[in-house]
Amino acid sequence: MPHIVESLQQFWQFTGFANCTWQNLVMILIGIFFITMGIVKEWEPLLLVPIGFGMIIGNIPMFPGLNIGIYEDGSVLNVLYQGVKQGWYPPLIFLGIGAMTDFSALISQPRLILIGAAAQMGIFGAYLLALACGFAPNEAGAIGIIGGADGPTAIFLSSKLAPDLMGAIAVSAYSYMALVPVIQRPIMLALTTKKERLIEMPKPREVSRREKIIFPIVGFLTTAFIVPSGLPLLGMLFFGNLLKESGVTRRLANTASSSLIDIVTTLIGLTVGASTQADKFLSGKSLLIFGLGLLSFIIATASGVLFVKLLNLFIKNPAKKINPLIGNAGVSAVPDSARVSEVVGRESNPSNHLLMNAMAPNVAGVIGSAVAAGILLGFLG
Amino acid sequence: MRKLAGIVVSLLLAVGASAQNLSDLIISEACPVNSTGIVDANGQRRSWMEITNVSTGTVNYAGCFISDDKSDLQKFMVPKGVIANRLGARQVTVIWPSFEILPGKTLYLVSTDGKTVIDTIEIPEDIPADMSVRKVARDARRIDFKTDPSPAVPTPGLINTDGSEESGSNRMGRIDPHGWTLTVTSVSVVFGALLILLIIFTISGNTISGKYKRRLKKEFSHSKASPDAEIAAIAMALELYLNDEVHDKESYRITITSVTPRWSDKTRNFRKPIVK
Repeated sequence: MPHIVESLQQFWQFTGFANCTWQNLVMILIGIFFITMGIVKEWEPLLLVPIGFGMIIGNIPMFPGLNIGIYEDGSVLNVLYQGVKQGWYPPLIFLGIGAMTDFSALISQPRLILIGAAAQMGIFGAYLLALACGFAPNEAGAIGIIGGADGPTAIFLSSKLAPDLMGAIAVSAYSYMALVPVIQRPIMLALTTKKERLIEMPKPREVSRREKIIFPIVGFLTTAFIVPSGLPLLGMLFFGNLLKESGVTRRLANTASSSLIDIVTTLIGLTVGASTQADKFLSGKSLLIFGLGLLSFIIATASGVLFVKLLNLFIKNPAKKINPLIGNAGVSAVPDSARVSEVVGRESNPSNHLLMNAMAPNVAGVIGSAVAAGILLGFLG
Repeated sequence: MRKLAGIVVSLLLAVGASAQNLSDLIISEACPVNSTGIVDANGQRRSWMEITNVSTGTVNYAGCFISDDKSDLQKFMVPKGVIANRLGARQVTVIWPSFEILPGKTLYLVSTDGKTVIDTIEIPEDIPADMSVRKVARDARRIDFKTDPSPAVPTPGLINTDGSEESGSNRMGRIDPHGWTLTVTSVSVVFGALLILLIIFTISGNTISGKYKRRLKKEFSHSKASPDAEIAAIAMALELYLNDEVHDKESYRITITSVTPRWSDKTRNFRKPIVK
């Protein structure tokens, strides 16, 4: 009998109840909140559900030394986490994004490319703010990239520049990407007049197959020669797009844009979520990162909208004016931010469809944020 | 299109020119008294020096000069026509000058014109035997080098480091504590990169789309399909759909192809096929 009691006592030491702290419970509740938002509100469910469940997995209290935790070498979670830590998953996701993205809107309206550059001000605004808050330059760079509204890029850069902050940065980036409609709409309305919101833009012209094939090659050569440090992201993005547009590699494009990206998204979401162990995640720094992430999204949206207003000052022909409501789409949350442009545009004029026009700065934002990540890596790596 | 070709050629020339920039070479190490160290191609131990290419391109240093006398900068010429004289990015090579490197002297690396001094290194007077004077990498990417004041154990053929290389982050923290320089530079580069894309696609778009439009126009003008026939076909499809007469599921896209029936067209042949 004493042996049974002793065994039970020993077993109790291994249970989650014995090792539980309030921090674990807080993180589990955050995980459940993410899952709820993903399922009930359908806010980025493909990301929030795996991240939320990953948070729960990562915060189940456990007896250390069993070699099952994400930070314990050789455990299953640790092996899967290497894809995040070493930066393997983000380029693979970019391959899928490239294979899914139609750059026609951008090719047909090259002048809208610059909006994608203007919205990257969110990255550098957050960088300046993070430095002012006392973060080291490498940490500030990793935090700043949240403003690119690009989860894989944020993970890629933070894994290189500030691995310790990667959990907070990734969760912050994906959370705000899910909240794009909530964050961007009031800023867009505040910075535009009723008259500006009514501007109708011409339908983008039809783009030939030849142009679509040339785009990934020229786009890659141009950006990679300027920022070679962005090679993993830019290379995969444009390669994926070439697979799609060439028309002769449909099987590869289909795999990249379906099975492959689904697998990698599942793994990246789950392991990023699991990496947010309470002892590493719950800190003042994480809260500060969340605050800076929100500011970076606000700056990015405002920069895009204001840049369009600035461009309009130089466009004399009223028929060629740009609706500032597509300025928010300069962040690379594809296609969510373009969808916000469409929705807000139709609120002012139900017959005004801005989606296709907004897709141009939106995909330019993907390129812009990858270029910005390359620059930050080059300077701060 | 000519403008575009001009830009591409200029870029390639610029890249080619930068690849041959001799100013990217530094004298990274020199060992004046070599009694126990490496031997030259003839198996002899003599004083040697080391050159490092700190750029990201290849530099051909054939024809450069080495000297320890400012009044005679052409004391020793690196032989021409040797493939090994092409030094790749961040590569290091050992050179055996024809003269003896003496303590207390200054070594000069001189360009192929025999006049322009590319880099120098001072050999301390009190340098012990089998020790070298060297320049060590200041940054982790090994672009920036500084002279190490104390003699060190020679490391011929290897990039010199003392383990205290400054990371990019620390460097930026030192030279740009508030982040404005990086911000302005980065924003300019992002705008520059996308501006180049804008220019390329504006030019190519005008060219290609012009041809594309002309081709479409030509195809349309040659097409014998009547727009009325297309309208009739679409109307018929809608009629079937709205009256729930569609007998099977159709794909999203309807492609209407105009076909001119030939006299032998099987669809117009009402005879039953011959069954054997």
